Amino acid sequence: MLTEALAIAFFVIGIQLMVPIVLAALGEAITEKSGVLNVGVEGIMLIGAFATAFIGITRGQALLGIVAAVASGLVFGLILAYLYVSRGTDQIVTGLMFNIFAVGLTGTLHSRYIAGQNGETLGGIDIPGIQSVPWVGEIMSKQNLMLYLAFLMAFGVSYLLNHTWYGLYARSAGERPMAAESGGLHVRRLRYPAVIAGCAVASLGGSALVLSTSGGFVPGMTAGRGFIALGVVVLAKWRPLWIFIHAFGFGLTQALQFLAGQLTALAFIPRQFWVALPYLITVLAVVFAPGSRYPAALGIPYRAAGQAS
Amino acid sequence: MSVISPTGPSSSGPTVPEMPDVGDLKARRELPGWIRTLLALLGTFVAMAVLVRVLGASPVDVGKAIYTGSVGNPFNISQTIITTGILLATALAAAIPFSARLWNVGGEGQMTIGAIAAAVSGLVLPESWPSWLLIPVVIVASMLAGALYGAIPGYLKARFDASEIVTTLMLNFVAFNAAAWVIFEVFPEGFVQRTESIHPTAELPRPWEGWFVDIGIFVAIAAALVAWFIIRKTRLGFSIRAIGANARTARLAGILPARITVQAFSLAGAFAGLAGALIVQGRDHSLLQDFSANFGFVGIGVALVARLNPLWAIGSAAGFAILRVGSNSLQAGAGLSPAVGEMMIATFVILLMVAKVIKFRYPEGSDAH
Repeated sequence: MLTEALAIAFFVIGIQLMVPIVLAALGEAITEKSGVLNVGVEGIMLIGAFATAFIGITRGQALLGIVAAVASGLVFGLILAYLYVSRGTDQIVTGLMFNIFAVGLTGTLHSRYIAGQNGETLGGIDIPGIQSVPWVGEIMSKQNLMLYLAFLMAFGVSYLLNHTWYGLYARSAGERPMAAESGGLHVRRLRYPAVIAGCAVASLGGSALVLSTSGGFVPGMTAGRGFIALGVVVLAKWRPLWIFIHAFGFGLTQALQFLAGQLTALAFIPRQFWVALPYLITVLAVVFAPGSRYPAALGIPYRAAGQAS
Repeated sequence: MSVISPTGPSSSGPTVPEMPDVGDLKARRELPGWIRTLLALLGTFVAMAVLVRVLGASPVDVGKAIYTGSVGNPFNISQTIITTGILLATALAAAIPFSARLWNVGGEGQMTIGAIAAAVSGLVLPESWPSWLLIPVVIVASMLAGALYGAIPGYLKARFDASEIVTTLMLNFVAFNAAAWVIFEVFPEGFVQRTESIHPTAELPRPWEGWFVDIGIFVAIAAALVAWFIIRKTRLGFSIRAIGANARTARLAGILPARITVQAFSLAGAFAGLAGALIVQGRDHSLLQDFSANFGFVGIGVALVARLNPLWAIGSAAGFAILRVGSNSLQAGAGLSPAVGEMMIATFVILLMVAKVIKFRYPEGSDAH
């Protein structure tokens, strides 16, 4: 039976699962708008998740864990930016290999230092007055800081891309790098911060994953959420506020597996179907996304005039 | 900063102005490829040695562990040879679409579907069939299943222009869950995370006494020869390479990119499916949860190191297999997680790109997708 308690739990879990995807997709949107496709966002999330769990376990502080995740995103974002932008390595292969690297790195560190340990988590935040609203009050009281952070980020990224000089220039580097350079801009100097900032935001997605569950790290715990984020970015047409909305849909789809497990009427459908469903929907969404146009220079390393290739 | 090249602007698309610059002219005189490959290898070893030191283990122990773990005794040599065959098959799955500039990053999923088909057909087909019939039938079933699964992103790319990167990545996870369903719900084996064992008559023979290696490596090498023949000597292979060289010219020459896209992905899926068959029929004799050590993704590296040449991929696959299998001994030999092997492989491929041993060409002035 679909009880009220069950429906509320469904939304609570759905929103919790939405947050990591929102953050990863927002980070990816910044990076992609500047013309760099970062398939390594999955690995960035994984490392961010590890950093949060490691600090949460060893220092016992969740907020410091968030800071650690951002720091890891900045460091590995710098490495990725160097590869993508300065060295001009192929973005897809570099990203995929970086993901494998991240699996190896976090797996090694995890088994050596924090295997099987649980750490700090974030508690719900009380917004005055919201408790009295039926349903919404109960759902929102279970949500932690990361949701509000993601919400602010969506507006922040939207403002950055659409209302600042940096956003305008970065987008020009993503569309017509040659023209941007002719106009006196430095494509590489514009792409570096986009990759680094994108990784820092995406690594927060890893934090959200850890801080909303046990506070511990599980090898491979991102389970393709970074890849789903790649799909969400396309689906939202690189618009931050739409990313929030689409990611909500994916969060609820992921939450279906918990709902379905409680409903005897759906017991005949194997559990694995519900786990696979978000990935299937991403495929369908990318196929039928109406009029998604990639930034024109996405995925192509920029070589300055006269530079040896 | 706009400089028109002396020959004037070309008629199509933006031109890259040639700027005479002494520094860059120097940079163009590159070291020979094999030296750059060695430098990348050296860089990988240095990076890993530093990391291992930071983790408080001894780089020498790591080297020893990888050596004994990959070629130190008959069992480990057998594992390395088996893994070479698997990686060779997944490398073919990456190389064929890449030759047409299509990204198949779904080898992992296509391999999983192939492994499912091998396990299911190896369990369901009559046990009384002789091996000479059952073994090929199971292999063909795996390749067909992989081909069909590979055709999906190919079709979606051809018909809807859906990014094959996103679709193949997503279909990997769908395949993993299909495998989990088969393992835990359809043919569960008690409390172990694997299916029942396939019929002994469907297993690839292990003809050498005292060794654990099966004939899978020969199947994989045969597949590489077939792939080489298809790419170099057939109409389809020519079309694939033509699209990779210049899609617009290929279209003008009467090649239908949509059809070739589907065919290239189906072919890739078939080879990935073969990798699944080699794992189930040769190595594991059942379908295991988490049976793959990123074989599909590592196959991309194998293919790139071999410069998409199916025959060179044999040697490239052996090199990656030594790293991969050798890393399994790291826990016992150096107190480190086998995951270090993952880092080594990834670092090596990235450094090969930095050293420009692996190079990519991009269509000038065109959209990335």
